Amino acid sequence: MNSFRLLEHTADMGIAAEGETLAALFQQAALGLRQIITACTDIQPSQEILVEVQGQDREELLVNWLSELLFLLESRQFLPAAFEIDNVTDYQLRARVRGETLDADRHYLEREIKAVTYHQIKVEETASGWRVQVFVDL
Amino acid sequence: MSVKVRQIDACRWRIPREGAMRTDGLVFVDRAMMAVLQKEKALEQVRNVATLPGIVGPSIAMPDIHWGYGFPIGGVAAFDAEQGVISPGGVGYDINCGVRLLRTELTVDEVRPRIEKLADELFRNVPSGVGSHRRDLKLSVAEERKVLTKGARWAVENGFGRVEDLEHIEEKGTLAGADPEVISDRALERGRNQLGTLGSGNHFLEVDLVEEIGDQQAANVLGLFPGQVTVTIHTGSRGLGYQVCDDHLRMMLHAAHKYGIELPDRQLCCAPLNSPEGKQYLAAMACAANFAFANRQLITAWVRESFERVLGKSSDELRISVIYDVCHNIAKMETHQFEGQTRRLCVHRKGATRAFPPGHADTPELYRSVGQPVLIPGDMGRYSYVLVGTQGAFEETFGSTCHGAGRVLSRHAAKKLARGRNIEAELAARGIIIRASSRATLAEEISESYKDVLDVVNVVEQAGIGKIVARLRPLAVVKG
Repeated sequence: MNSFRLLEHTADMGIAAEGETLAALFQQAALGLRQIITACTDIQPSQEILVEVQGQDREELLVNWLSELLFLLESRQFLPAAFEIDNVTDYQLRARVRGETLDADRHYLEREIKAVTYHQIKVEETASGWRVQVFVDL
Repeated sequence: MSVKVRQIDACRWRIPREGAMRTDGLVFVDRAMMAVLQKEKALEQVRNVATLPGIVGPSIAMPDIHWGYGFPIGGVAAFDAEQGVISPGGVGYDINCGVRLLRTELTVDEVRPRIEKLADELFRNVPSGVGSHRRDLKLSVAEERKVLTKGARWAVENGFGRVEDLEHIEEKGTLAGADPEVISDRALERGRNQLGTLGSGNHFLEVDLVEEIGDQQAANVLGLFPGQVTVTIHTGSRGLGYQVCDDHLRMMLHAAHKYGIELPDRQLCCAPLNSPEGKQYLAAMACAANFAFANRQLITAWVRESFERVLGKSSDELRISVIYDVCHNIAKMETHQFEGQTRRLCVHRKGATRAFPPGHADTPELYRSVGQPVLIPGDMGRYSYVLVGTQGAFEETFGSTCHGAGRVLSRHAAKKLARGRNIEAELAARGIIIRASSRATLAEEISESYKDVLDVVNVVEQAGIGKIVARLRPLAVVKG
């Protein structure tokens, strides 16, 4: 099943994601990340950004993917609505992220994520697909 | 897995060296704190740090110890300049997160009638919360590089504050060795819009009142008196620092492998201090530290401006000056005496504060008779403390002490506890005005989320690694 839930930690938060495919896993993790940042549902998919990231393994790839989304938000004020993973291998990922520019009148950001961490991160293959746990520094 | 500890006295515990540990762990907590700690993983982290090459003396933890990524928060570890390592995880993502304390000549009676207006003005004038920044501060890349080299001095040279402010900042507001060439474009871009911003989470800007004096002589020297209004600023290097940490964690993962350093946890990745990777991180870390010093300096200028507007007096008349500014996420090259020898060490302080004793050359001249001021924020509903450094800290903890209260509740648990309550009204009933840009932050930062900081500073004082000078109580709090 494709899903995510947020994990609680005394000082920080995490995402536990599951996906039937590696692409679905990366998509769910991104949705989890956005959930930590905002509970906003009114995000228009009016712009599309092509994202390409690399990593030395699946774990680093996932950290780099989520970090890229943080970067787009912080530097370009780009708030994502939907994530289409076009291609993902163990070492690289290509995705189209749709969303819009942050609008202070309509959007409400709840938390600032400092970084995506490597703490206890492990992308695992399960009987029904893939799962991962990843923690962020708040 | 439980960690073996042996009690030394009422506030010291030893984690005996075993397995891959190169040294003991030394934890400063009381019995009640230890009971809680043993259910957590932070002690394992103290033990993990003890396995790193070139560690000198024990792997130390302060009474505000809690779990962190890699090193525990509240962790102090010193490494030999030649044989030791440097680890970005020993500094943290928010490089030079720190606290600045300003004094005024105002008393609470003068400020109380205008406190709502002052809170509004500070909230408007100092950007807080995610994505907020001053539109009148635009930095070119060339100018941003100057910030990274000069730190608070850059801000003063550009009209934000006074030259004398610099005297009362750790490292005089400029950490040496910064090289902007090693900063990634991504870090520069994340930082550009965030200079002069408070951020969110546990960062804050507070108008406080001096509620109680613990050490009259030191209070006199620091310029503190009962009923006085002070201002506390808690923030760091913002997106620039987070990105510097992130970039170098990646580099250090590879470096640790290259130099054959065994890591019990990926977030402890490190490189020898004298390796190209180690030197690069130190140069980048100094850039981020300087960004943070400049950040707190800009905010200071806007605080002065806000007081002038609301109180209708010039800041010269209000005599708003910097008491001190400390880093609590940093690694510093320092000279210490260890087992009778003079050693050059890299002291990592992650959620720990430098606390140099009276007479130390790096303690500002004005404070040399009493010791370096140490600023320990509590939570938004209770109090914060001003301490000074001691000889005890210099001898036992490489001149370090605690940094704050430390969370006890997860954000989810805090929100649950805050549900159905009007936090703003509760604080107002206790004489505290709050302005927050996020409802989530307000709920997650309630007092109950944190340990009582008094318990923390009591242990510090009992252990002789800090001396209480004054207790501050919030009057108005700005949160991100």
